[in-house]
Amino acid sequence: MNAYGLMAVFETPADAMHAAEQVRDAGYSKWDVHTPFPVHGLDAAMGISNSKVGWFTFIGGATGYTTGMIMIWWMNAFDYKIVIGGKPMFSPFYAFPVSYELTILFASFGSLIGMALLNRLPRLHHPLLKNRRFCQGASHDKFILVIETADPKFNAEETRKLLASAGSKHIEMVED
Amino acid sequence: MTSHALHLLTGLRRSVAAGVIALFAIALLGNGAFAAEHAKAQAKTGLVEDSHHGHTHGPAGHPTAAKKFGYAYLTAYMFCLSLCLGALFIVILNHLFDAQWMIPIRRFLEHIACLLFPTMFILWIPIGYLAVDIYPWMSIDPDHDHALHAKAILFNKPAFYGVSCLLFLVWGFIAHGLRRASLAQDKDGAASHTRTMRRYAAGGIFLFAFSLTGAAIYWMKSLQHQFFSTMYGVVYFAGSVWVTAITTYWLLLYFKNRGDLKDVAREVTFHDCGKLFFAFTVFYAYIHFSQYFLIWNAAVPEETFWYVLRENGTWKWVGQLTIFGHFWFPFIFLLPIHRKLNFQAMSMMTGWAWLCHYMDLQFNIGPVLYPDGLSVGIYDVLSLGGILAVLIFMFSRAFNAHPPYPQRDPRIAEAMGVYIEPSSSKAAH
Repeated sequence: MNAYGLMAVFETPADAMHAAEQVRDAGYSKWDVHTPFPVHGLDAAMGISNSKVGWFTFIGGATGYTTGMIMIWWMNAFDYKIVIGGKPMFSPFYAFPVSYELTILFASFGSLIGMALLNRLPRLHHPLLKNRRFCQGASHDKFILVIETADPKFNAEETRKLLASAGSKHIEMVED
Repeated sequence: MTSHALHLLTGLRRSVAAGVIALFAIALLGNGAFAAEHAKAQAKTGLVEDSHHGHTHGPAGHPTAAKKFGYAYLTAYMFCLSLCLGALFIVILNHLFDAQWMIPIRRFLEHIACLLFPTMFILWIPIGYLAVDIYPWMSIDPDHDHALHAKAILFNKPAFYGVSCLLFLVWGFIAHGLRRASLAQDKDGAASHTRTMRRYAAGGIFLFAFSLTGAAIYWMKSLQHQFFSTMYGVVYFAGSVWVTAITTYWLLLYFKNRGDLKDVAREVTFHDCGKLFFAFTVFYAYIHFSQYFLIWNAAVPEETFWYVLRENGTWKWVGQLTIFGHFWFPFIFLLPIHRKLNFQAMSMMTGWAWLCHYMDLQFNIGPVLYPDGLSVGIYDVLSLGGILAVLIFMFSRAFNAHPPYPQRDPRIAEAMGVYIEPSSSKAAH
């Protein structure tokens, strides 16, 4: 049994938000806030910058568009030439709808894969899921802030003091 | 007044603005030189190919001054009409979706929409007066032209003037109805005004769709009355809202810096304006591509001649500007969130969007008179400058006479990012 992190329970979204601001300003890097519903402004309070998923989406979309264009050019104008309605063998105009569909498809694949990779999913186990108080609170009516022991700034005494001063009524060490 | 108009440019850094103007001037001069060279070459061979514009009954040879002015004025007019109709649409949208983020931008858009009547109506009179010079179909006998004969029920002088007047009445009715209720709500804060505005918006959106299509067909598409495109009206609509969305962003920035909207213009408001612009970047491309794609695929001469004419000379490059400047550049540029919040970049984008939309309208109107290539001259500059000056004057007068944003709209607190506890929940405590 080794310690996973220090868990602090808050009663309201505002308390959790203020605590998050303090933890952010104290310079912690490996921590998270778990809430039963999305809390607007929490990302700013936690100091999280814009998600990188957009890049995966963009690269997926660009790949899809290029794939569509090259595929149609290859099939209709190079590998097996077909004259349709006296039109040119290849034109970006008739190839556009299919390329566009592939842009959407690959972009959504990119988003899904990017989201999973950045969240380190799929994952079969998480230490917090063994904690009864966490499971009952975070999906119901409690706002829970967890700082991992792996954080370089983590110090059992100091961190506990910080969370207590932020207004948490219940602080406990979660074991893995 | 002059300093007011000049302040509109404060979003741009002076050196950058000078650079853009220089580039624009070089492009114009280069185009003029190209057109002159082209005309010389044609005069030498003595061949003015009629087969090229066999389908257009466009005026051959040298156009008269009245025609030149008419086309320049029509282009400038349709550009300004885009802004007014776009503003009316966004105001209607605000009420249809009961949106809170649009409250800060609603008041100045209401004023712009109200320019439709009577200001834009009065500014339309030169078009009505020069209509015979501008619209080739007016001087053709329908008994000798099959296309005109088939469309004679729409394209006859009484219908042209009658419908044109009706359009302004419809726009005036919607725009003034919406603004009257909005200003009345500033005074008493009654919720009944919100319901009135919703009724205007719900009925108005249908009237708006039909009237905008009517304007696009009668004033622009009828330049080549043989043309068929069921998407013509919606292409004009998409371009109009596109240019209005970025102009809204710019005006919001301007009025925030001037102090009028500093309490309500939040970062999220700018972000939402940027998103609206981005959405219409894609929507315009989708609609215009669809029109082109259907015509390209079907390859029916009654439709293709319209685009064939627009591939001649420098018009080809204006078309490329629509593809790359109107769609690809803003699309790629605005993909990251932070660009939509970069005031410098978005101010530049406003100028760019104005250029692209103006060129888009040139692409629609110009080739009928100048089949060899783009021609922008002193008439164009004077027309656009003149109409804009009148509109800016009328707009600033209206804007300065009233509160800068809806003071007592039910959603104003929400738009300002303030939470006010409802009195019912206070009572429960």
